[in-house]
Amino acid sequence: MKITILKRKKELKYGAVIASLLSILFGITIYLVIIGLFGVNLVEAINILGKSFISPTIMKDFLIIYVMGCGLLLSFKASLWNIGGEGQFYIAMIPGIVITLLLFNPETSSTTVPAFIVVLLVIITGSVVGAVWAAVAGTLKAFMNIDEVPVTLILNYIAYYLVNHLVSGPLKGKKTYGYLRTDEIPGIYRLNIILPITRTGNQFEEAVYSFLTQVSYYIALLVTAIAISVFTWWLFKYTKLGLYIKIMGSNPEYLYATGVNTKMLTLLIMALSGSIIGLSGSLYLLVEWGRIPYGIQSHTPGYGYLAILASWLSMLDHRLLPVSAYLVAGLRNTGLSIKIAGLGDTEQTLIILGSVLLGYSITRFIADYEVKIR
Amino acid sequence: MIDFYGEALMRMSAAFATIYLVALGHSLFELSGVLDLSIDGVFFLSTGLAVLFSAQLHTSLTTLGVDPLICTTLASVLTGLVTALIGLFLAFILTVLPISHGAVGLSLMFLGYGLGIYAGYPVRLKYGSIAQFAYPENIVVYSLTLLVSLALGLTTYRMLYSTAIGAMIRACGEDPHAASALGVVVYRTRLIACGLGYFMVGVGGSIFTLLWLRYWDIRSYVLGYGWFAYTIALAAGRHPLILIPFAGVFGALLEFNISIQATYGLPVDLAGMIPFIAAIALMTLYGSTKLKRLFEPPRGLGKIYYKEERTI
Repeated sequence: MKITILKRKKELKYGAVIASLLSILFGITIYLVIIGLFGVNLVEAINILGKSFISPTIMKDFLIIYVMGCGLLLSFKASLWNIGGEGQFYIAMIPGIVITLLLFNPETSSTTVPAFIVVLLVIITGSVVGAVWAAVAGTLKAFMNIDEVPVTLILNYIAYYLVNHLVSGPLKGKKTYGYLRTDEIPGIYRLNIILPITRTGNQFEEAVYSFLTQVSYYIALLVTAIAISVFTWWLFKYTKLGLYIKIMGSNPEYLYATGVNTKMLTLLIMALSGSIIGLSGSLYLLVEWGRIPYGIQSHTPGYGYLAILASWLSMLDHRLLPVSAYLVAGLRNTGLSIKIAGLGDTEQTLIILGSVLLGYSITRFIADYEVKIR
Repeated sequence: MIDFYGEALMRMSAAFATIYLVALGHSLFELSGVLDLSIDGVFFLSTGLAVLFSAQLHTSLTTLGVDPLICTTLASVLTGLVTALIGLFLAFILTVLPISHGAVGLSLMFLGYGLGIYAGYPVRLKYGSIAQFAYPENIVVYSLTLLVSLALGLTTYRMLYSTAIGAMIRACGEDPHAASALGVVVYRTRLIACGLGYFMVGVGGSIFTLLWLRYWDIRSYVLGYGWFAYTIALAAGRHPLILIPFAGVFGALLEFNISIQATYGLPVDLAGMIPFIAAIALMTLYGSTKLKRLFEPPRGLGKIYYKEERTI
């Protein structure tokens, strides 16, 4: 048998869309075959799958994965494989707890600093800590040429242990009803807008209202996602740094030959990538968690890894990143919904993510290549 | 009666065998140029499969008079065979199709976690403890495991550096196009390397749960031991012999973590960090010496091997 794979000379009309749809269908088929083999009701599973992609609850995951994906995209475009999003995300939450609970806690001290200043401080320090955490790998890469993949990966586990240590030690909460976790950060520092629950009886109206409820609850994440999106576009379109990042990914020797300090550039790109992820970590604390639980590795939704996938699936194109982030968020949402429906447990999220993305990764190439079998 | 030191030695052997086999299999896999980011998922899947196979074989074969040790050993081999199939699949698609090694690897990692739970959880739910399906706590079994893993390491070393197939594997890792021009069938060579490599990863995973821990839990997938083996393999330059001291030291650090914590009065999470910090320290140490050149990754690792026409 001869397989001929040719790069398409002419771009396939709607190729990316067709290839993406076929790939997703292929992936979903793999998933259904797997869970069907284990006796899960397929009709119910398909129903949940469809609903999950249009459910308003997809909002939070989409926004977080998108923001983190932008951060990772910066380093990936420069061929710097920052696999440490998980660690940078969680370590960036620590200053948020210290600042809101120990330094400017209105319940225990008579602080006069306005809440928005404290929130800004949390976000800035979170970004800085995320940048520093990523810069560890950046420094080793830049000055000693040590592969950043294992270093960033290992730093994830070090971050898990360090956060756990702080949560069970110096930052251990006093009002936690016996749970091992930090105290909840004061309400004035939370960034949610909570709309009242309304029942109209009209399904469409309630769906729209439910969507608006999610938008307002995660408004801070939404604003950040838009800001980061504009920043990424601006960076690559108009700045020298954006150009350097792109050249770094394709021809770093050229940059070196033109007198660019590639070592400092490596460090800067890693730090910038980490700072965006750190920003998302501190926002996640202020918007969603409100506290840090002990045993972070058991509580993590794995955003660090999900964002890597979203970034890769976008083919490192920031214009496609919203689509891939939505896809990844939808799949995670499906897994959770299947779990809630009693059709499975934690494995559902993992299997649906794995199988659909595997199918997608394998077949996505047909947009750029044609295959002939003889 | 096994004394304290005997038991420590036994557990150390199991820790070494696990880390060594997984890192060795991963090294062989990557030396052929295929990036292995599914390692942690496949490692966890192999722990689940080992538990499932061992429970099935024990309940069905021991009634026929088959020795329990044979049942457990068969479970390890079966686990290795299943993971070898995954290795073959990866080698095939990542060589024949122009697709991202990283995206496929990470997708398979998630799938491995999920399938690992599917495989191991029903056994855990039904029997609680899996100790009855594990290898016997016997110094002979632990010593044999140690010897077999070392023998596998030496054989892999011989194969890689003294045989034609070894040279072909390394050539595919460095430059698959050049290797192909010299007559090497890249995808067939990678099938051998990835199949054998993942067989060892599977057996290593089964030893982790059936000999070292003698325990399986759904949360094992957050331990990151697959990634740990990945790092050790990288730090040792994917060299089968240099891996031996690395696996020994890091196996000991993982195994005696609790003892270190108790001896020095360290908080549990700080003690947990030690092996991971040591791994980075080690990479930094060799990165600053001439050893760095010796331990460089294959130049073609993870690069898409695009060739227009392929005969399958």
